[in-house]
Amino acid sequence: MSEQTPKEQNSIPTSKVQRSGKFVKTGIKVGGNYLKHYSKKLFNPELDRSELNEDNAADIYQSLSELKGSALKVAQMLSMDKNLLPQAYVDKFSQSQYNAPPLSGPLIVQTFKKYFGKSPDKIFDKFEPKSSNAASIGQVHRAELNGKKLAIKIQYPGVGNSISSDLKMVKPFAFRIMGISGKDLDIYMNEVEERLLEETDYELEVRRSISFSEACADLNNVVFPQYYPEFSSKRIITMDWLEGKHLREFLQTDPSQELRNQIGQALWDFYNFQQHELRAVHADPHPGNFLITAEGKLGVIDFGCVKEMPEDFYYPFFSLISADLLENKEETIKAFRQLDMIHPNDTPEQIAFYYGMYRQMIELFAKPYITDHFDFSETAFFDDLYGFGEKIAKMPEFKQPRGVKHFIYINRTNFGLYSILHELKATVKTDTYKPHVVLTY
Amino acid sequence: MATTENIKKAYIDYVLTEGTQPKSVYIFAKKHKLTEAEFYNHFGSFDALEQSIWTDFAKTTIAEIQGQDVWQGYTAREKGLSFFYSFFELLKGSRSFAVYSVKQLPKGFTTPRVFQGLKEEFENFSNSILNEGLDSGELSDRKFISKRYKDALWIQFVFVLNFWIHDDSAGFEKTDEAIEKGLNVTFDLFQRSPIDNLFEYGKFLAKNAGFKEPAGFSGF
Repeated sequence: MSEQTPKEQNSIPTSKVQRSGKFVKTGIKVGGNYLKHYSKKLFNPELDRSELNEDNAADIYQSLSELKGSALKVAQMLSMDKNLLPQAYVDKFSQSQYNAPPLSGPLIVQTFKKYFGKSPDKIFDKFEPKSSNAASIGQVHRAELNGKKLAIKIQYPGVGNSISSDLKMVKPFAFRIMGISGKDLDIYMNEVEERLLEETDYELEVRRSISFSEACADLNNVVFPQYYPEFSSKRIITMDWLEGKHLREFLQTDPSQELRNQIGQALWDFYNFQQHELRAVHADPHPGNFLITAEGKLGVIDFGCVKEMPEDFYYPFFSLISADLLENKEETIKAFRQLDMIHPNDTPEQIAFYYGMYRQMIELFAKPYITDHFDFSETAFFDDLYGFGEKIAKMPEFKQPRGVKHFIYINRTNFGLYSILHELKATVKTDTYKPHVVLTY
Repeated sequence: MATTENIKKAYIDYVLTEGTQPKSVYIFAKKHKLTEAEFYNHFGSFDALEQSIWTDFAKTTIAEIQGQDVWQGYTAREKGLSFFYSFFELLKGSRSFAVYSVKQLPKGFTTPRVFQGLKEEFENFSNSILNEGLDSGELSDRKFISKRYKDALWIQFVFVLNFWIHDDSAGFEKTDEAIEKGLNVTFDLFQRSPIDNLFEYGKFLAKNAGFKEPAGFSGF
C-alpha cells in the first residue's frame, strides 16, 4: 500500500487478518450467547431457543455491517444492498469454519478407516498427523506415496448439517433485523445454501477439479495439482502437493512488473476462459485458493465452489458488457428485464431510473473489457466502483432485491478477480477470451 | 463340540430373529443340539452370556488400538478418543445386537448386569490412560476429584452409546461429532483450567478472609 492511496481506501480493511479478526469476535460473541442461553436454561428449562437465535443473528449481522472488506463492498454494489446478507453468509460460513478446532489424531484415523478400511499410515508411505493448514471446511495434511508429495484435505464431520441448520436458524431473525420479508430473499438464500452444500461434497469436488484442470490444461502459466480419486471420498481429497507462495507472500518478495503481469494474465485467462468457454466458473477467487510457483505460474488448488451459468443468464449479462448493446436503449432494457433487474410491474419512471443506474453500473464493470488491455493498478477505477456501491446502498430504490440469483456468485467471482488483479497491480490483455455476445433480445 | 464363540453366535442369532431371550436354557440348547450341561460349562445364564459379548467388544477394541503404531505417541486425550472411535466402529458390525441389548436394559441408575464386565474393562483402561496423563502432567491432579475422572469417562461412554443407538445420520457421522466434541470438553476439564484457580482462590479466602468470624460489616 502506498502513501498516495486515497483516504476512502484506508478505511476499507482489505487485509484478511483484519477481516478474520472481525469474525473471530463474532464467534466469541455467538459462543457467549450459547453460554448465556444454557445458563439461563439451567434455571428455566422452559426457555426456548428464540432468544438465543436473536442474540446470534444480531451479533452476526452487526459484525457483518461493520465489515467493509472489498468483497462485501463490491457485492453490495451489484447485489443491491439487501443481497449483502447472502454474501455475508458465504463469507461468514467459510470464515467460521476456519475457526473450527482441528480434528484430533484418532478422528483422522477413524475417517480414513471409515472410507478406506485402513489407517492413513497404512495407505501412504508417510502421513503427517499434524495438519499443515486449515482449508475452508477442513484441514490439510502432508503425505507421501511412492516419492510423490501429496496434500490430503480432510473435512470436519457434520459440516453439511451445520450449514443447513445454521442458515435456517439465523434466517428469519436476520430478515427481521434488516426489516424486509424473507420471501424476497429466499431465492438468493437458496442459491447460497446450494453452493455451500456443494462445497461439502468432496466427491463432487474431485470430479470437478479433474474436469476443470483438463479443460484448462492449455492455458498459459496456469497449473493444477493432480487429483487421486482412488484416495478420495466424501470427506477426503488427495492431490499433489503444490509448492508455491500465497499471493500475499508473493507480493512481499517485491516481484517485477513483468512477473505481476504474467500472474495477472494467467488469472484473467483462467477466469474468462471458464466463463466464456466453459460457462461454469471457479466461483471463489479468494487469494488463499491460489499459489504462485517458483516458475512464476499460477497454481489453482480449490474447486469447491463452482457456479454454472445457464444461457438465459450468460447471454444477456455478458452481452451488456459489449458497448454496442449498451448503445441501444431498447435492447438494453430488454436484457435488464430478462435479468430481472427491471421488474414487469415497474412504472415508466422506475424503468427510466433503473435503466440509468444499471447502465452506469454495467459501464463501470465493463471498463476492463472495452479496451484490449487494462491496468488494474489504477486506483481511480476502484474508487469509482466502491463509490458507486456506497451510493447505491443508501438509495431507498434499492431496498428490495433485484436481479436473478446467478448474480450473487458471478459478481463475487468477477469482483474478486478485479480486486486480486488490483492487489497485483497487474496490466492485463483483456481480449484473450472474449464474451460471446448477442445484440438483440 | 460347542465353543464359547459358537454359543454366542447362536444366541445373537436367536435374539435377533425372535426379538427376545429364549424362554429357557433348555429350549435354546435343544434348538442348537446342545445339552444343557454344555451350555452351563460356558455360561451361567443368558445375562452372563450377553455380558461376555459386551466385555469382548471392549477387550477387542483395546487390543486393536494398543496394537496401532501411533498408540505410543498418543496423549491420554488421544488414547481416550481412539478407544471411543474404535469401539463404535467395531460395534457397527453388531449394531442390531447392540440396539436390541441396550433396549432390553432396565431403566435405572445402577450399572445393568450385562454391562458389568464391559464397565470393568473400561475402567481399567480409563485408569491406565488417566494415570499416564496425571504422571505426564497432561491432566491436573486434584484432591479427591481426580479419582473420579474415570467416572466422568464412563458417563460419557454411556451417553455416546445412547446417542449412537438413536443416531440415524449416514455413516454415524453425528456420533463421530459427539465423540470428538464431548471427549474434548471432558479432557479440557481434566486439564489445569480456571476451575483450579477458582479452587485455589476459594481455599485462600477460606483461610484468610475470616469466614469463621461473624460478618466483618458488624464491626462498623
